[in-house]
Amino acid sequence: MGENERKEKAEVEVPVGLLHPAMLEPYRARFFVDDELIVDCELTLDPYHKGIERIMEGMPVEKGLIITERICGICSHIHLWNGTRAVERGLRIKVPERADYIRVIMAELERLHSHLIFLAHAMEVLGHETMCMRAFTLREDVMDLLYIISGNRVHYAVPIIGGIRPRCDIDDFRMSELHNRLSKLDVKIGDYANRVINDSLIMSRVKGTGVLTKEEAIKYATPGPTGRASGINIDLRKKMKEYKTFDFNVIVLDDGDNKDRVVARALECIESVKIIKQALESLPSGPISDRSFELKEMRFSTSYIEAPRGEIYDSLALDETGRIRNYQNRTPTLTAMASMEIACIGDQLTDGMLTMASCDPCLACTNRAIVVENGKERVFTEEEVKSLIRRGL
Amino acid sequence: MFKKISRKNAIHVMLFYTGGCNGCDIEVANAAWSPRYDLEQYKVILTWNPREADVLAVTGPVLRRTIEPLKKIYEAIPEPKIVAAVGSCGVRCGIFKDFGGELGDSDEVLCRVDEVIPVDAYIPGCPARPEDIIAGIAAGIPLLLER
Repeated sequence: MGENERKEKAEVEVPVGLLHPAMLEPYRARFFVDDELIVDCELTLDPYHKGIERIMEGMPVEKGLIITERICGICSHIHLWNGTRAVERGLRIKVPERADYIRVIMAELERLHSHLIFLAHAMEVLGHETMCMRAFTLREDVMDLLYIISGNRVHYAVPIIGGIRPRCDIDDFRMSELHNRLSKLDVKIGDYANRVINDSLIMSRVKGTGVLTKEEAIKYATPGPTGRASGINIDLRKKMKEYKTFDFNVIVLDDGDNKDRVVARALECIESVKIIKQALESLPSGPISDRSFELKEMRFSTSYIEAPRGEIYDSLALDETGRIRNYQNRTPTLTAMASMEIACIGDQLTDGMLTMASCDPCLACTNRAIVVENGKERVFTEEEVKSLIRRGL
Repeated sequence: MFKKISRKNAIHVMLFYTGGCNGCDIEVANAAWSPRYDLEQYKVILTWNPREADVLAVTGPVLRRTIEPLKKIYEAIPEPKIVAAVGSCGVRCGIFKDFGGELGDSDEVLCRVDEVIPVDAYIPGCPARPEDIIAGIAAGIPLLLER
């Protein structure tokens, strides 16, 4: 059956959003329901488009990279790291080892904080208020660690081109404080993950719903933990040179249902704590930044990093005065949208919102411009895009 | 008198996200109502229904696509009501209007929140800290009771 046929055949259309208690994020889901079973689903995501890529055109690079951090309020460090990493790769700047370690520590703390928000949100949608609030309590402990290192709760601004900012260096006081708090946090997160995985009440609700098979996940290029829960064994951290010295496992699960997506993230929290501990123990001494570079003309340079939700991609070029040209950014949720639509087909309507939440949408970074002609969406063809680029738009 | 006492015991806050970066959004919805900061112990409750709200917390600059919903939601809230602009974006459009490359600042970002609806409490910070959010909402409650 074609897509339009399925929509027309459905009995009822249930719109959810933009503002809805079950979703924190502003997006709109349309469920096409036939006798309580979802036959099709459609996600709309345009209303919060800010045009960040366009603001950054022609900005001095160090000034412009600060805006990349404001793309998202959950994974802000990753965006800034990936932007600076693209510049460093393009200009062949060598980053001191200590700076790389501190960047990794920040990234893993951020992954913890993002996964805990996910767990809390999933439990909230599930209706388990106690576990939701426990996850938020744990998250506050992680936010304290981030605050100790960087001095802010969300936008940390740790990396600069060539290293990290001096205020984010880990001195002896911070080191002892981090060690103390991390050893407590380790136990707490282990307990929480154990409790989530072994709770029969939660598991009976999430088991077998929202199945995304491995074939579908490969077809729709599902990124990050969502893809790994469907059996795709891809983690960019294993390929990055910054993570080479750390020993950690990639969590790959086979079932691809809501249970696996929750469990995968709960287990990844434990792996993240493992990486942070190793990094703190073997933190090398030495300089934290090498600012003896010259900004010069740089050809198109790209960088991929494993963000909490999957891989993100940044690319930019610099002109001879060191201004940003053609900044582009692709975030994991944009690729996860298609698999979210597919995963909830065939389930009860009550599980639809849970499936959406279990794919961990973060929509602040995802909103793109949509071309509407005569009341209908339209996709640009390759030739049209090329002609737009040639005309300098 | 009776109205005042009963209103004091159930302040409902509605969060409306006009298009920031999600940071303030999470600080309002998740941190200020998390067990550590726990606004609910002061009988302040988060709601998603404008018709039962007393306080409207707006995070983010007003975008081209959110100016109409913002006006509609403001009108749907019954009197008396107060509005809190949360974060630098809510207070003065933040980084999205201050900065601009060669093509200028963004066309999609229109204006500050207080150019569209009257704002009573400004809560600065990028993102606003939970302590500041609690202080801002607490500062607005006497205004609400006087009206």
